[in-house]
Amino acid sequence: MLRISVMACSRGVAKRFMSSMSGESSLPSNLRLPSNLVDPSRTKRPPPPADSSLPIIRTCDSSVPAHLSPLLTWVESLAAQQGDPVGLAQLHPDVFAVPSRLDILHQVEVWQRSYKRISYANTKVRSEVRGGGRKPWRQKGSGRARVGSIRSPLWRGGGVSHGPRGPTSYYYMLPMKVRVMGLKVALSSKLAQDYLYVVESLDLPTPDPQYILDLLRQRHWGQSLLIVDACDELPENLLQATANLKTVNIIPAIGLNVHSMLKHEAVVLTLAAVRFLESKLLWHDERYTPLYPFKMPYSDLP
Amino acid sequence: MSLIKKPGGKALDVLQNLPRITLANLRPEPGSKQKEKRRGRGQYGGNRSGRGHKGERQRGTRPRLGFEGGATPFYLIIPKYGYNEGHSRRPQYQPLSLKRLQYLIDVGRLDPSQPIDLTQLVNARGVTIQPQKRDFGVQLVDEGAELFSAKINIEVQRASEAVIAAVERNGGVLTNSFYDPISLAILIKPVPFFLRGQPIPKRMHPGEEMVPFYMDPCARGYLAPPEQVQQARLALAKKYGYVLPDLSRDELFHMLSSRKDPRQIFFGLSPGWVVNMADRKILKPTDEKLVQYYGS
Repeated sequence: MLRISVMACSRGVAKRFMSSMSGESSLPSNLRLPSNLVDPSRTKRPPPPADSSLPIIRTCDSSVPAHLSPLLTWVESLAAQQGDPVGLAQLHPDVFAVPSRLDILHQVEVWQRSYKRISYANTKVRSEVRGGGRKPWRQKGSGRARVGSIRSPLWRGGGVSHGPRGPTSYYYMLPMKVRVMGLKVALSSKLAQDYLYVVESLDLPTPDPQYILDLLRQRHWGQSLLIVDACDELPENLLQATANLKTVNIIPAIGLNVHSMLKHEAVVLTLAAVRFLESKLLWHDERYTPLYPFKMPYSDLP
Repeated sequence: MSLIKKPGGKALDVLQNLPRITLANLRPEPGSKQKEKRRGRGQYGGNRSGRGHKGERQRGTRPRLGFEGGATPFYLIIPKYGYNEGHSRRPQYQPLSLKRLQYLIDVGRLDPSQPIDLTQLVNARGVTIQPQKRDFGVQLVDEGAELFSAKINIEVQRASEAVIAAVERNGGVLTNSFYDPISLAILIKPVPFFLRGQPIPKRMHPGEEMVPFYMDPCARGYLAPPEQVQQARLALAKKYGYVLPDLSRDELFHMLSSRKDPRQIFFGLSPGWVVNMADRKILKPTDEKLVQYYGS
């Protein structure tokens, strides 16, 4: 029996070994997408090669640690529906290539949903239900069960013993650095899975919403798009085009959050947004602990 | 460098072949969510719901903690003694070792070319002071006295002789000064105080028990006369066997000799002044009575 179990174990080991050698088809069945959800023409775009002829439009502002190297991505343009990349951009590895902590993503997503939640469900306890002060019938001699009030939880129309009690708040705050890490992990995962696009500027040729939808379909970016920009005024064309679209949304860079990034398939960042996000997210790696809230001015912390 | 690591490691490579991370794909780390214990459910957990059989245990009428069935309980039979009597009136001083001080200076969090104050120590996150918990400041501890080699002008609230010797051997200056709790709270967090818009208060003098310590030249108290302090410096040098460096020839003499007035909380700011951080202005009192009060 021991020999049979050993043989079964070794057969399983051999199967796993062979599957790791084969490559892509080795995904377990629960991780393979059904064929109607897979977009066959959406091929994984390789990252820009080191000897590419396009100019590097943006380099990292903050210094990259010595043991890491900055990432290179294509910089696109939204002017034409089917356009080639305009240049290359360097991205900081400590923001865009952070190890994928999916558990932190889950924590931050749950926090985003629940910290704003106030549940207004309320039920009346037996003391709050109208009536029920008098003893319905005498304690002994009537033949029926002993009863103290008509609003006891056992009775129809009586109070609820352990129901929801009044507005309850589900507010809690995750540590600041966990929330920052969540943003970094989301950006890194989007970049790794080829759903993050860097764009030079958000100037569209027309205010037509169909233009953006056609652009998405032509370039195989996905079903939904999240546009992130870090400037005060957004171009009129873009605002008009996305005003009535449900799947394409614009947010300022301060409004970037994990829920929006996961809800939308593709995320588009402008170069200004990339610079803003890098500076804000990297600051938390080097700051001191707060003595008083960060809203008050600090002379030594930048 | 041949040792440049790929940023993100192999996890990001694996992610490229996995389906898109969406709101539907997230789940908590296995083992992170512990199931809540619910009493009285199920075939075996129901019935008595883990309460036992009859008696006070099941009926929830057990007596209070410490009750011993009527015998005088342990917590009453032991007589009282004043170990903790007046504990909330005892001043506490957060320890700071010379080793840690040396580390802070080496790493660059503390600037030895400026007088080192409790504000500087807290800004460098070297110590954490809680005035609400009867902390009266910071005390220097002589752990690392052999390694200490920085020339500083430091002001603490308590320091032992060995510490004073270690600081002065390297050509530094140490002062023991007193801050009452309100002044201490202002000293460690100046910005929230300035945002309140109140005038800087006078620093109060120490209480009866602490006055002898702060007037003692051997402890370098801030109320001690400077000549006696100089004599004490020479005596300490002779006692510990080192040559006392002459500070008057030092290039940082002006910085090393800068001392605060007994009523002053901040260098360069007098009591009575109001600091306006938004407009970057300082308002000084002009009324006679106020000037007299804050000047006394």
